[in-house]
Amino acid sequence: MNRGLVGASLLALVLVIIGVVAAYFGTRYQLRLVYSAYVNLLVVLGLQVFMGNARVTNLSHSAFMGIGAYAAAICVTPQNIKAISLPDAPWGLNTFALDPVTSALIAIAVTGLIAFLVGIVIVRLSGIGATIVSLAVLVIIHSLFLYRTDIFKGNQAFFGIPQVFSLTSVVILAVIVVFATRLFRESRWGIALRASADDEVGASTMGVNIYRLRLIAWVMSGVLLAIAGIAYAYYLGTISARPFYFNHVFLTLAMLILGGMRTITGAVLGCFLISFGLEWVRWLETGPLLLGIDLPEALGLSGIALGAVIVLTMALRPGGIMGEREIEDFILKS
Amino acid sequence: MLERRGHNGPAFRFSKEMLSVDNLEVFHGPIKAVHGISFKIDAGQCVALLGPNGAGKTSTISAITGIARATGQVLFEGSDISKTPVEARIQRGISVSPEGRRVFANLTVEENLRLGSAASDSNTKTSIAEFFDTFPILGERRHQSAGTLSGGEQQMLAIARALIAKPRILLLDEPSLGLAPKIVGQIFSLIGDLKAKGITILLVEQNAAQALRLSDYVYFLNNGRIAAEGTAESLGKSDTLMAELTGIS
Repeated sequence: MNRGLVGASLLALVLVIIGVVAAYFGTRYQLRLVYSAYVNLLVVLGLQVFMGNARVTNLSHSAFMGIGAYAAAICVTPQNIKAISLPDAPWGLNTFALDPVTSALIAIAVTGLIAFLVGIVIVRLSGIGATIVSLAVLVIIHSLFLYRTDIFKGNQAFFGIPQVFSLTSVVILAVIVVFATRLFRESRWGIALRASADDEVGASTMGVNIYRLRLIAWVMSGVLLAIAGIAYAYYLGTISARPFYFNHVFLTLAMLILGGMRTITGAVLGCFLISFGLEWVRWLETGPLLLGIDLPEALGLSGIALGAVIVLTMALRPGGIMGEREIEDFILKS
Repeated sequence: MLERRGHNGPAFRFSKEMLSVDNLEVFHGPIKAVHGISFKIDAGQCVALLGPNGAGKTSTISAITGIARATGQVLFEGSDISKTPVEARIQRGISVSPEGRRVFANLTVEENLRLGSAASDSNTKTSIAEFFDTFPILGERRHQSAGTLSGGEQQMLAIARALIAKPRILLLDEPSLGLAPKIVGQIFSLIGDLKAKGITILLVEQNAAQALRLSDYVYFLNNGRIAAEGTAESLGKSDTLMAELTGIS
């Protein structure tokens, strides 16, 4: 029995159950919250593919999500809307409109290509060097989003994107991505990549081409982040540069760190714990009446909570809640 | 069951040159660790490279696998692999159990073996199942992280991982290093079994007594040069050399 498939199936079941419960019992607001949790799950899984397997910290993931979202938005938004919102767009970007599937495929290809070009540099670095370069990539891409207003509209809303996605679409996507990332983790490439994270020289002695494998994982990560961006844009119908920057980097990083970056189960667990936990913290921020006590308003509590999650996890349990364990390890005998 | 990867029919014994190294110089940055050594191993032979710490034994292994920067010629089954990348050398059938074992601590025992089998064209699953018959202790711990194994078990895993690719030649770098005497006995008995099965072995060791017992031919390295060579029998008779090798005078 393939333990990876068993684990991915169990996680898929959990994802479907959360989706069904939200669809049947959730309010409009809660549905939006659950949808955003699933989009963030796609991001965290995309982050896990590279960071969890190669164990090289990446801080540029939200930028790649943004590239996917904007590329799809530019392709799919109707021409008459783009004529108004992007009147000065170069290269005839406002003179055409494609169907959502073609637009998504183009967005994935564009993000994959940019990820490949950035990856050529990133994969040759490790430790602090790779992290700093990824941070620089985040800043460069965000600056382009902000200041090339003729293409991206900066902090203004890029509107008119057809809202072709529903909660069902993102649950299906999340299930597919859970299987893809889990099977990658268990594949020869995934094992070799994790081995290289343990011991680079030892892995080279086994004939592992570390740079090539890291590049494959980096590009795969970019593609998954593009998919997350597309899912985000296709549901909301409106995007702007702000959601693809530091706050989002920090949020999704905290999710991966809390659950445990080395496993897919950790990524899923961390994502949902923080998505729903943060909602509870936001409620506390408003100064509610709790057990007869009138709590004071505490603006900024969510930021503190998120930071505390990272600090406490790194200090007390650096491997995250799951460590090396996947969901099936609790059921199948070792 | 631990047959060698056979592209050319039945195993040759002591007839065909498997590996030959000519005028090999190995560098670690600006430092030359090995100064133009030459040696050869025939198919089915167990050849030992003995010598004290810093003699250049591990550097020689690193040059054969392609990890270290080296000059000179390395011929494998007649073809020059001096410029061949590491990955291709492993795929051609050179397998190494590195010094210090270097099992991947965060991977499970089974994942370590799957990584080892990546160079093999054979059916991995069957191979791993077969390996667990040969190494039952590893079978029992197949889903356990390799870092939780004892030193002896980790060494067995390192050897098993090198063997699973069904190599043409097995390079064993200090397999007895840091192990309890009882476990050392078990590891050498395992190496003896592999030799009996016709597997070509290059054994790098400091444990001269055990290595001499197993090897057909021995090269003694000192300060990056071959200081002596001969059959285990002839070297074993040299009191001076034995004193130098074993540290017992």
